Formats: sequence, structure tokens, C-alpha cells
Amino acid sequence: MLHIKFSKQNKSVCEERGNHLSMDSMERIEPSIDPNTWIPLDEDTISKDVLSFCDEESYENRLIRSQEKTGLPEAVQTGIGYSNGTLIAPGVMDFQFMGGSMGSAVGEKITRLIEYATQKLLPLVLVCASGGARMQEGTVSLMQMAKISSALHYYQVQKKLLYISILTYPTTGGVTASFGMLGDIIIAESKAYIAFAGKRVIEETLGQKVPDGFQLAEALFENGLLDLIVPRILIKGVLSEISDLYSSVPYKKN
Amino acid sequence: MEATCLPRIYVSASAKASSGLASCASTSNTGNSSWRRFSCLRNSRIGVMESLQMSQNFEFNNWRHTKMSKKSVACVQVLRAKLNDTERKTHDDDDEYPWPQKFGTEDLEGSPLPFLSRFKPLPNKPKTVTLPFEIPLLEIEKNINKIRETAKATGMDFSEQVNELQRKYDEMRKELYGQLSPVQRLSVARHPHRPTFLEHILNITDKWLELHGDRAGCDDPAIVTGIGTIDGMSFMFIGHQKGRNTKENIYRNFAMPGPEGYRKALRMMRHAEHHGFPILTFVDTPGAYAGLHAEEHGQGEAIAKNLREMFGLRVPIITTVIGEGGSGGALGIGCCDKMLMLENSVYFVASPEACAAILWRTADAAPKATEAMKITAHELVELDVVDEVVKEPLGGAHGDPYSASQNLKEAIMRHMKDLLKLDPDSLLKHRKAKFRKIGAVQEGVKLDPRFKRKMKPRDAHLDGEQPPQMT
Repeated sequence: MLHIKFSKQNKSVCEERGNHLSMDSMERIEPSIDPNTWIPLDEDTISKDVLSFCDEESYENRLIRSQEKTGLPEAVQTGIGYSNGTLIAPGVMDFQFMGGSMGSAVGEKITRLIEYATQKLLPLVLVCASGGARMQEGTVSLMQMAKISSALHYYQVQKKLLYISILTYPTTGGVTASFGMLGDIIIAESKAYIAFAGKRVIEETLGQKVPDGFQLAEALFENGLLDLIVPRILIKGVLSEISDLYSSVPYKKN
Repeated sequence: MEATCLPRIYVSASAKASSGLASCASTSNTGNSSWRRFSCLRNSRIGVMESLQMSQNFEFNNWRHTKMSKKSVACVQVLRAKLNDTERKTHDDDDEYPWPQKFGTEDLEGSPLPFLSRFKPLPNKPKTVTLPFEIPLLEIEKNINKIRETAKATGMDFSEQVNELQRKYDEMRKELYGQLSPVQRLSVARHPHRPTFLEHILNITDKWLELHGDRAGCDDPAIVTGIGTIDGMSFMFIGHQKGRNTKENIYRNFAMPGPEGYRKALRMMRHAEHHGFPILTFVDTPGAYAGLHAEEHGQGEAIAKNLREMFGLRVPIITTVIGEGGSGGALGIGCCDKMLMLENSVYFVASPEACAAILWRTADAAPKATEAMKITAHELVELDVVDEVVKEPLGGAHGDPYSASQNLKEAIMRHMKDLLKLDPDSLLKHRKAKFRKIGAVQEGVKLDPRFKRKMKPRDAHLDGEQPPQMT
């Protein structure tokens, strides 16, 4: 039992076990960005019901309901701001909005953020929290993975700029299989659930139970898939230090 | 194995190419007749499955070559010892791995490449599978066969009835296959006898050489890579390979690659870029493999790497979906300059069954999910995801694999001709633009402030830091 007030004071980290509970995007951006330096991008970009999809409820209604409930127009906030004196381009996903699912609007916002960072030569930080691609947008949402990866190719491979991805609880599906695992440095939060296929899918495929702790950050770390596991309270400091390390390279012949 | 051990048992591709089965029959009276017949059929323009149906007495497994020299016997024994590895025993035809163990010392005529291909016609003709919507056709066919048998038994002439029924059959078939619903197309895409990647390859290439391995400990059987020629031009071929029967499916893991498969594909794509091979990829997978080993070895990372790297390959890439396109597993080899889909193939972000289970909370809603998700080729062309739908022969690709492959070849070569005119920088730009435009968003819609209450508002007062504008 955790009292909400104490939990929020402690950045939603359980004092006893160090479990990092999920955090909404505002709570992440607020402490990480220096005061009076935030410029949001594409605030009014929202999804369109491209397939006229209707399951138990129409996609349009689901969107409006989520927007009302979460106070967010989409599952990601992007913008630019200073962090400890360095201008960075962060994008922060929010699991509360339709499970952080990546649809056209999320894909478009992140792509535009990357394109902006490419143009202004800013370090890119993407905080990932997603259940995967948005099924209500079908194959169009699948292609967002390719779209973002294409922008990242130009950003990372051709322009050789720094991209840090931070994987939080939970990061699954299409996000893990695209920009989540493409960071030059991949940081995860402690006990974050990071997977490509979800636990239930694996259990159905194999017909056997998945061992406990299998897809947590610590297990991925042991398997060599992550660079760092950083406690939430240290993230801001770590990001600036990394930024400094990369900007002090003496042999950058671009 | 030394060159002298290789049998010279293949008829030359060029000479026999157009003559088909007839000319082979005349040369087939030796002890190696069945092997000759196979190689002749392979090198002719007849499709592999068709040739199997035609050669009823094809006893592939029973051929034996005699008169092996002492040297070649010794070579085979050494090889057998090396192949005692337990892993090798999972291969479907041990005697044939990595190449036939028993072979003669006859002269090798023509290309040795078919000798190295482990993809042979199935020894037994597969049992016919009827899809639910084809049942009315099956009824008519049964009636036709019944009447024919009666005519044979009694000696009476029923040709008029037979012709009438045949006409009805053709009409109904045309009608059925002319207006397939998404659910029906999905069942055709998943048909157990739908031509697989290698079947298409053997139908469209003049030469084919499979290349293996990710050079890091694994050769994933679910992804097949290799180089081949079409109309004299060499290409790199990469594709998901499904099995033609249960045994093969288990060996191929039902075309569900692990991270090793994607790394193998990436290695071959880089190799192709290095040497100037345009890349042709063929997608036919239910999805990437969801297993413990795959997750531990970075399934997500392998796919992500492929997605990013494919946008930097300075050679033309054409992707064709020949069966099922399963989400990230398909996209892992599917970032291309042109996307083609066979008429009855599908491309989905999540399988209809999974989608139904999550959104409708019952797997029984899979047909509704199939309709709603718009996964068929024609629907995806309208969404601007796919560039062209390649027509399949009436009855689906499984009915006439050779024609399906030829349609595919024609479409691929037509698009390739255009892409070969572009220089590498234009290619990359074009590929980026193709995917950049996919997505449907609304902008400038005046949102209720309540819907933005949790967004961090602008608070910057920086001089010179104007609202972002991109050139």
C-alpha cells in the first residue's frame, strides 16, 4: 500500500522494492526540463479514423473518451527545452492514452521531432511507454514504425547525431521493434517490462509458463540488450553527463 | 569435396528449356533416369508443383548411382562423420544434406547450382484441401466425376451433361473468385498449398543459388536468402519460407523467424548493396517468432536494426507480399522502394484472431476484425500503403502456381526497370518519401482545452527561439 502523495514525492518509485511505477508524461517532463524553456511541438496533431474502425465502440469515440479522461490529445508529447543548460529534443510517450499505442499521430509527431532535431542538430531523447501499434489504424500504424526508423536513419547514420532512448514500464510490440531499441544509448528504468511479444503470446506459442522476471529490464541487461539501468531520480543528471561526454569528442570529422 | 566428386548429371538449361518433358523422356532409359528427369523438369519452364503432378511415377528417393570411385567413397565417409552432429538430424532429408551423399562420376553438364539447392519436389502428392467457400465447387466436381464414371461403366454418352456441368463449374468458379471477401482472401493467403517463396523463385529465376548463415552462430531456416538471375540480371532474393507439409513447417518454424533470421537477412542486404545486387524480398509470415530464445537474443532489436538499415541501402528494393504479412515480422524485410502484393495476400498489424481477442474480447469475432482492419491487397492500395496488386490466376495461386509466378515476375521486372534508372541518392529519397507520406492525422482542429490539460504548456521566453518552423 503506497500513499499517493508519498509516491508522487518519490517520483512514483516504491521505497521498499525500488519498483518504478508508471508515470504520466507531464510528471516526466516537468522535472527534467529547466523552468521557462519548454516549447511544445505539434500540440494539435491528433489521429484520424482512417479505417472507419468500429469494434465495441467506434475509434472516434474511443479517441474522444481517452482525450477527455487523460487530458492529452495523443499518446506522446514532443517539444524542445533546456535540460541542465543543454538544448534537447525530448519526446515522452504516455501509457495512459489508449495504452500508449502508436498510431498515425504518434508516428507523425515523433517523426517531426526527429526531423526538427536533425535540422537544429539537437540531441534526441525518446521516453518509450507503449503497448504496441494501434490496431484501430491497421497497417497504417504498422508503417509508422518504418517511417520513424527512416527519419532515425537520416538522423543517426547520416548526420551522426546522438539519440538516447529510455525504456519505461511497459515498452512492448512495435515500439520495441522500432525506435525503442535503436538508441545510441538505451537506458531502462528498473523492473521495466520490455518485450517484443507479450508474456501471454509467448505462453500460448510455447504452451509453457514464462519464468518470472523474464522480460524485465534486469533480464535484458544480463542478455546484453541495454546499456544502462538508471534510477528515475538520476535520469536528468545522467542525460546531461552523457550529452557532455558526447560533445567532448576530439575526433569528430563530419 | 573435390570437383571430381561432383556428378555431371544435369541437362543444360538453355538447350532443354523450351522443350519440357517430351525431350527428356527420350534420354531417360539409363539407371539415372529419374534424376535426369527431375533436373530436366527443374531447368525447363514448367513449375515445380505442376511437374510433380505430371510425373506420376516420379520416385525421387529411389534413385541410386553406382560405380563410385574409392576417392569419392572416402570423401563421403569423411563428410558423414562431420555431419554426425545431432542438430543435423532434424533436417528433413538427411541423405540429401548438404548435397546428395551418393552420386555418380558422370560428367556434369550445365550448371552445378541446382545440385546445391535443397529444395526438391515433394515425394508424395499433397492431399487436396478445399476451403469452406469452395464447397459448392467440390459438389459440382463430384457430380462430374460420377457422371464420367457412369459413362465409362455403361458405355453410354453423357458428354452433354458433363459439358453442361463443366460450364456451370467454370461460371461458378469465376463468380466465386471474382468477388472474394476479406475473410475468404485471408483463408486463401493461408492456404496450405499456396506457393511458397522457393517455389516462386524456382519458377521465375534462370539460375538460383541459396546462401546461408548470419556468420554469428545460426542459419535460421525460416528466412531463405540467395542470389539468382531473372532475364540475365542478377538479384538478391530474401524471403520467408513456409513449409509445404507439416514436417517442413516444423523445420521452417512456420516461417516465423527469430532474431538470427533478421540478422541473416541484414547481412545479405549489406552484401547485396556492396556488390550492386538489387534486392527482392518476399513476405510470407504469420509474424516474428514469439519464444523465449527469440526474446533473449533481441527479437525487437533485430527487427528495429533492419528497419533502420534498409533505409540506407543504396540499391533498389522491391517487396512482394506473397501470402500473409505478419506485422513487424514482415516489415523487418519490407522497407522498400515498391511494395507489391499478390491479389489474395494480406498484410496486417496484428492477426485478426489476436485483434478480436483484444478488442472484441472473443476470438470468435475474427471475421469482424478481418473486415474492419482492411488487410487485403486492394484495400491497402486505397490506403496508399501498397503500390500494385499482382493478379493471381482464377482459383488462387495454389491452383496454378506457374502462372502466378509469371505474373509476379512481370510486375517485378516492370517496377525494377523504372527503379534501375534512378541514382542511389534519388532512390533513398524516394524510399523515405514513400513511407513519410503514410499516416492520417488531423491538424488545426480546435481542441477542447480539457483535452490538453495534462500537456506541458509553452513557457519559454528564449530570445530568438521562435516557434519551430522547418524548411
